[in-house]
Formats: sequence, C-alpha cells, structure tokens
Amino acid sequence: MRPYFEHMDEFGKELKAGRIKRAAESLAKLRETEAAIDSEKKKVEEVGFPTEKINARGWMTVWQRLEYLVDEGSWRPLHTLYNPLDNAEGTTNVIDGLAKIEGRWAVVIGFDNKFMAGAWLPGQSENILRVTDLAMRLNIPLVWLVNCSGAKLPEQEKFYANRRGAGTPFFRHAELEQAGVPVLAGIYGTNPAGGGYQSISPTILLAHKDANIAVGGVGIVSGMAPRGGFDAEMLEEIIAKTKEFTGRPPGNVETHYDHTGFFSHVYEEETGVLDGIKEYMKGIPAYAPEFFRVAEPAAPKFPAEDVYSLLPFNQKEVYDFDQILARLVDGSEHMEFRPDYGPEMYTGLCKIDGMLVGCIGNRQGFLGKGYPEYGDYPGIGGKLYRQGLIKMNEFVTLCGRDRVPMIWFQDTTGIDVGDTAERAELLGLGQSLIYSIQQTEVALMLVVLRKGSAAAHYVLGGPTANRHNAFTLGTAATEIAVMHGETAAVATYARRAVKEKDAGRPLEPIIEKMNELAQRYRDTSDPLYCAQHGFVDEIVNLSDLRSYLQAFAGAVYQNPKSVCPRHQLILPRIIKG
Amino acid sequence: MAQEVLAALSGNIWKVSVEVGDKVEEDDEVFVVEALKMEIPVYAPCDGTISEIKVKKGDAVEEDDVLAVID
Repeated sequence: MRPYFEHMDEFGKELKAGRIKRAAESLAKLRETEAAIDSEKKKVEEVGFPTEKINARGWMTVWQRLEYLVDEGSWRPLHTLYNPLDNAEGTTNVIDGLAKIEGRWAVVIGFDNKFMAGAWLPGQSENILRVTDLAMRLNIPLVWLVNCSGAKLPEQEKFYANRRGAGTPFFRHAELEQAGVPVLAGIYGTNPAGGGYQSISPTILLAHKDANIAVGGVGIVSGMAPRGGFDAEMLEEIIAKTKEFTGRPPGNVETHYDHTGFFSHVYEEETGVLDGIKEYMKGIPAYAPEFFRVAEPAAPKFPAEDVYSLLPFNQKEVYDFDQILARLVDGSEHMEFRPDYGPEMYTGLCKIDGMLVGCIGNRQGFLGKGYPEYGDYPGIGGKLYRQGLIKMNEFVTLCGRDRVPMIWFQDTTGIDVGDTAERAELLGLGQSLIYSIQQTEVALMLVVLRKGSAAAHYVLGGPTANRHNAFTLGTAATEIAVMHGETAAVATYARRAVKEKDAGRPLEPIIEKMNELAQRYRDTSDPLYCAQHGFVDEIVNLSDLRSYLQAFAGAVYQNPKSVCPRHQLILPRIIKG
Repeated sequence: MAQEVLAALSGNIWKVSVEVGDKVEEDDEVFVVEALKMEIPVYAPCDGTISEIKVKKGDAVEEDDVLAVID
C-alpha cells in the first residue's frame, strides 16, 4: 500500500498578500480572545497557595510533579477551565490532559494540592468521569497523582451522592481495570475517606514516605456523636479534644506498605514516586509508531500560523476549509473521498505523524448552482444537505471497517429545514449518521472551529457521541448553541409581538426582552462558557491544533484493540477507483 | 479581453473590495455579497484591471447580475 500513502495528493496553496491584509482585523480578534482565555487558564494554575509556600513545606505542587513526570513538550492539557458548577475557585481542583511518559501516551490527572490539599469540589467527579472515558476510549493508561484531602465538607450536597457523583470514579477505575486499562497512582500527602478510595482504586499504588490513605481521617476518628446541635459548652469540649489529639493520621506507609502491602513501593523523595511511575510506564503495552505508520511523518507544507488568516472571527464570513486542513496534516496531502458529491462536506484520508486518519469538515460558502439538487434554493456551506449526509454515512462506515480513527471539524449552522428538505429525508439521514458512528469501534476527536448549532452539532461527531468522542476542542471562534441568539429571540417572541401590536400596546418591552435573550445566547455560547461547561474539553490556540491531532493519533494507535492490515484497507481503493 | 464579474446568487452587496483601476489577480476578492445570513465573497475570474464597477454597497443583486468588468 506504500504507493497509496507515500505521496498522496497535495492540496492547499500559499496565502496571498490580499488575504493576509483582509484578515488582519480578524486575526487580531482571534489573538485577543486567545489571550483572554490564556489569562483565565493562568488563574486556574495559580489557585490556592503560591508554589513557594507549598515548596517551603517540603512538597512539590501538582504542576511541578507533572512537569517532572511527563516527556518534555508532550503535555496536552484538557478541561483546564472546566467548572460546570461554577465554583468560586474557577476549577474542579483536578488537572488533567494527555501526555507522554517514557515515550508512551497516557491520560494524566492530579489533584491540585495547592487548594484545600486537593479536596473534592463540586463538578470534580464529572471531570474525572470525562478523564476515565478518555482512557477507556483510547485504551491507554490512566496515571493519577493522588493528593486528596477528601470532600470540601460545606458543599458536599453538590457532589457526594448521585449516579455521577464523587463515588462513581471508583467504579470507573474498576471498569478500566476489567477492560485491561491500567490505572497507576502516585500517592502523596494525607488521603482520608474519598482520598483513600482515590488511592486504593487504581491498579498500582506508589507512595511517598509521608503519604497515608485511610477509610476515614483524623477528624472522623476523633469525632463526637451528634447531639442535635452545638452550644458553647460543647464547643469548649471540642477545642479541648482537638488540642489533646496528637495522633498521626491513620493509614501511613507502616500500615500500607509493611502490614497490608497495598503500596507496591514507597519512596523517600517525591520525585522517586514519579520515577516509579516512569518505570511502570516502560512496561505498558504499546506498539512502536512504525507498526501503524503508512508513511514517514512530515510537517504540513504551510505554516500553522496561516490558520489565523484563514479562519474568520466573524461568524458570517465564509472561508476555505481545505486551506485550514492543509495547515494541519502531514505534507498537506490527502486522498479526498467523493469530491464530486456532497460539496458542503469534506471527507478524506490524511496522515498525522505518518498515521492514517479520516477527516471530515464543513465546507463554507456558496455551493454552486443547482445544489441542493432537491430544492429550488441556493445551498450554503455550514448547512447539511442530502448528499453531504449520505457521503458522511459512507465515509464513517468505511473508516469503521478499516479501523481508521476520525477527526471531525465542525462549523455548522444546522441541517437544511423545510418541507422540501423533509421530503429529501434529511431527518432520517441525520440520525443515520449517528447510527453509522455508533456502529463503528474507532475513536474520534472533534474540533469545533466556529459554530456548533442545531442537530448538526450532534451528528457531526459531536461530544454526544459518548463512546466514540475522545475529546472535543474549541477555538477562539467557537460558538455553541442550539441556534443563533437572534433567531432564538424571534422564535420566542414573534407571536407575542404580533399580539401586542394588534392590541395597540407598546413594543419596547418586547424589543428589550428580545435583546436580553440574544445577549444571553452570546454570553452562554462563547469559548469561555463552552470550556467552563464542558461543551468542549479545551479551548486551544489555533497554532496548537496540530499538536492535539498528533496526541490523538499517537494515543489511538498506541495500543488499539482492533486493527485492519493496511493491505486490506478498502477505503483508499474506493477513493482510487 | 474584458471579462464580467457575475453574482453567483441573489443577495445584497455587503462590501466592494476594489476600486476602478485596481489590478487584481484571479481569485482575489472583489465583492462580498450578503446572502443566506452569510457574507459570501465574489472572486476575480481572471487577472486584470478593474475597468468598471456596476454596483455599490447595499445594492440588491440577482443571480448572474454583472457586478464589475475586468480588462
């Protein structure tokens, strides 16, 4: 199959001076938004005690542990701004992402020991479940840096219980282990109760000498039976008891190394724990990348920075998707699937670090006279029509058959609507695409380049493809909502406006409400909101997109559960004809 | 030889990106038409010089209307 993949069709062209000039304002807005997002991420990094204070206590921060643990330049953070329950701290108090350790990809997650000694916070379990899903999807190890003081007690009602509450990750760890996905844990500090189960549920436990893990902590061991309330006398008693208590926290290394043997190893130095994880990672099953490479890795022919001049910040401005893709894939080469059919969608085979991926993206702009073929109206990119939906169904099915992971690029306003579109079966074809994705066993990732709207956000490999979607990225131009805010305002208030008008009442209150709703949509669909609420797993600078594509391809091909021999691939043969 | 720049679809002229006398290359943006809630560029069909512009910002245009001429 070398002749198929060594030199695929080149695509893309150099940016013209006119394009660069026209895009200057848009580029500035993209950069400004990226800077604002970066500033929010910085706040999350700095939450809690300063690094110096943690270091003065003889500890490393979670960030320092991560830096020591992961291969240089391989850290791809996810969920940095994820904060679905709007914690004042701006974080769920875990840090996670994809990274290489000793040359092997892993999902890495750690408690931020700078804030409340790594406590459970509202929204954290949802964050952890996303992370365990990711490890399961990519079939790569989950590496924990445990340092967890247990629940933030004053807010326990928000996360302790429920189907996806703070206990659910322990079931997920068991699920991962039963699926053959190891969970490695480096354990630091005091880990009572929830922290204890965070520590005991992984596969291999590597502890620092001062670590302890326990069913319950000092507070519970020395606690008092409830008496229906507190008074001054009782508080004096509590103060006295607390002062008297000098015992060490339960479950230290003497207990769990010498007696129970739960800890596989205990290390004198904090870095020793991380070295231990590195040693275990060397033994993790992983194919050499060459096993699945169909060609030598190659950088795109055009600079990544071009994307800032190609993707308009203005949501109404159209652009050439193929030009963006040419800045992301190896050698700016591809094999396009059915280029003469379904012009609103790009579908094609590309390479990332020499490994085959299927790319799918919305093309933008006027689709040409006579399209869609079933309607007497012009077709516009970003919308989905009959041919594009059929083409994607075919492409996805073939990628599944050939075990080719998929990378989706979304910028969609929705599926064509109206009775003509209904007669063209678009409702059924959209759901067929969901069916097609669901019946595959390959991982996908999604980049919401700009708009994710209506049902098209679901069908185009959206995050709702739970079992398949490894992660979703957003950009500075991302906007995700059921529809545009002004469209929603019209849909909500048009009939009422007619009634008010007919009744001779003033229209200003309606206008005010319409503007309020439109603004609310703007506020709840922008990149920051999308990241905080998990609509995307990370907002990524446009110049960094390829690095995430590389992480995805490297991780998904590291230890796949199912393979298709390259000489038995059918999709490239169909494309070649 | 003169070549006409045509509107590909009905809409309103959102932006006139050139002036008479401007040199353009094939695929340079010469107009932006607002249609279907999007801003859709109209590109030069050939290299040349803009000799005539027949529309102004805000004008409604129909499919195949002549927007400009390139010599």
